[in-house]
Amino acid sequence: MLLHWDKLGWWRWVLLAVTILTAVFLLLPILFIAALSFGSSQWLIFPPPSWTLRWYDELFADPSWLDAAWTSFKIAVVVALLSVLIGTLAAFGLVRGRFRGREALKAFFLTPMILPVVVLAVALYAFYLRVGLDGTVTGFVLAHLVVALPFSILSIGTALEGFDKSIEDAAVLCGATPLEAVLRVTLPAIASGLFSAAIFSFLASWDEVVLAIFMASPSLQTLPVKIWGTLRQDLTPVVAAVSTLLIALTLVLMLLVSLARRFAKSS
Amino acid sequence: MTPFLEIAGLSRHFGSFVAVRDVNLEIRKGEFMTFLGPSGSGKSTTLYALAGLDTPTSGNIRIEGKSILDVPPHRRNIGMVFQRYTLFPHLTVAENVGFPLSVRRRPAAEIAAKVGRMLELVRLQDFAQRKPGQLSGGQQQRVALARALVYEPPVLLMDEPLAALDKKLREEIQCEIRRIHRETGVTILYVTHDQEEALRLSDRIAVFSKGVIDQIGTGAELYENPATRFVAEFIGDSDFLPCDVLAVRDGLASIGLSGGLAVDGVPLHGNPAAGKAELMLRPERISLSRAMPASGPALPAVIGDLTFLGSHLQVAAATLDGRALSVRLPFGHEVVGSLARGDEVWLSFRPADACAFCSAQGGS
Ligand SMILES: Nc1ncnc2c1ncn2[C@@H]1O[C@H](COP(=O)(O)OP(=O)(O)OP(=O)(O)O)[C@@H](O)[C@H]1O
Ligand SMILES: [Mg+2]
Repeated sequence: MLLHWDKLGWWRWVLLAVTILTAVFLLLPILFIAALSFGSSQWLIFPPPSWTLRWYDELFADPSWLDAAWTSFKIAVVVALLSVLIGTLAAFGLVRGRFRGREALKAFFLTPMILPVVVLAVALYAFYLRVGLDGTVTGFVLAHLVVALPFSILSIGTALEGFDKSIEDAAVLCGATPLEAVLRVTLPAIASGLFSAAIFSFLASWDEVVLAIFMASPSLQTLPVKIWGTLRQDLTPVVAAVSTLLIALTLVLMLLVSLARRFAKSS
Repeated sequence: MTPFLEIAGLSRHFGSFVAVRDVNLEIRKGEFMTFLGPSGSGKSTTLYALAGLDTPTSGNIRIEGKSILDVPPHRRNIGMVFQRYTLFPHLTVAENVGFPLSVRRRPAAEIAAKVGRMLELVRLQDFAQRKPGQLSGGQQQRVALARALVYEPPVLLMDEPLAALDKKLREEIQCEIRRIHRETGVTILYVTHDQEEALRLSDRIAVFSKGVIDQIGTGAELYENPATRFVAEFIGDSDFLPCDVLAVRDGLASIGLSGGLAVDGVPLHGNPAAGKAELMLRPERISLSRAMPASGPALPAVIGDLTFLGSHLQVAAATLDGRALSVRLPFGHEVVGSLARGDEVWLSFRPADACAFCSAQGGS
């Protein structure tokens, strides 16, 4: 390797310092929020005068928070399932298909990743008002599906590209119908790709706030919308508690993804 | 009598490129037929058409007289071992081998019994519970072989299954393939670009060159009577000398070599209209002597490099007009001990051992 750790001389200390600073810069706000959520101060004083679980009690006692969480969860799960399903079909078409405009189509499928979400939100909102999808779970799911799909298509497409089509051909020659070959051989072989697609799609929906603000109605709110709304009214440590729980969930899911990848590699 | 497997006028075009051109082949039941040819000569394309993974542009393929072109690949009941490793990565060895039976909805007990027997056949009983990732390349190909045979297909296709393995392992598995062919009586179509592998395994060999079959025959037939210069080069070693065709009678030609030597009774292939040909000589069919032989055609030559190859001596000689000719002398040959670089010698051969191929134009 060109840049070997042992050959860097005193530069390695600079490198180490930069790395630590970057990590701290990224982690500090999270640690800060976590600390505040356990702090006793109503006014979010830092460092907290003393420690308490009070805000977590309040959070779990308030049905509107649980409602919002449940709504978010429902929507995210449906989005994840649909995103994996549609993403699988799209990835097969984009990876295996030999047709004109394939590259253009691939780029088109990924545009929601670079398109400003606000633009998408306004467009969808105008459309939803017309067809009566605003403030409905279906509307939420469809909107979130748009931002989740690129993740699925990317991660399933990558897995499929790394899968040797000859293995599927071998299954067909063994007597499996093409569909059976895909279901029994190809999909299990790219299971880790499907799994990360599901997790990323879930998170894309679960964390999403811009679209959700447009889609939400007083009776249908997702967790990020509820956090947003609460923050605008009053600053309460309950929000810090919610955020901490959200971060914990995200961490657990990311851990699952990397475990799945490691498992797929070793087997 | 209809042949067991028949390929009739098979062609495959990719756009304007012709990968396979008018291939005709009849294969007996239980025969071991090898497609031998260099890279890109259309061997795989022909095999894929048989498997149904590719659709030929024209021509037909029949098994026991019935066309299989309309049968989708999963119902052709043909076994195949690929060049690349194609075991199902998430299944164990036993599940891989059992897969064809499982998709045929056979009872579990039957599957277990047949899988056991197959793993025994490829000598991998002890590996039944391993995943493919935990096997060596040779073991993976043996599992693939077991998987392709477990449903007792009448035809087994093998597309360079050993190409990725080292020489020793390759020879070991070649022996196994021979034994399995003997024990099961399955008809095998085997693809390779390795002449030694083809000669070792096959009953008959079809030599592919640029999408056409140049010649079909047993290894000995191809060696003794190559139909084209390409086959002569591909099977065994050979050198070529340019010559003129002086006269032709009953497939035997009188030819003139540079230096004025005329040779009668040389088997001739191709259309002699152009009058030019190339004389093929095999290194092991040339005799070497210090004095000019009393009879038979002989060429004066100068010795170049001498290489001892264990049982024989490889002599690189050059004719007076500078053409290279190799000669292979058995180790006990009278001159072997005294031969040295720069010696002037005579190279003689029997006309029947040589062979002349007419130069292009008119073609073979
Ligand atoms: N899908 C395709 N599109 C265009 N050309 C192709 C396609 N498949 C094969 N060919 C061409 O057809 C020719 C024959 O290919 P084939 O795979 O049959 O060769 P082969 O004899 O099996 O060679 P190898 O020993 O390298 O496997 C090659 O020149 C190849 O480039
Ligand atoms: Mg090939």
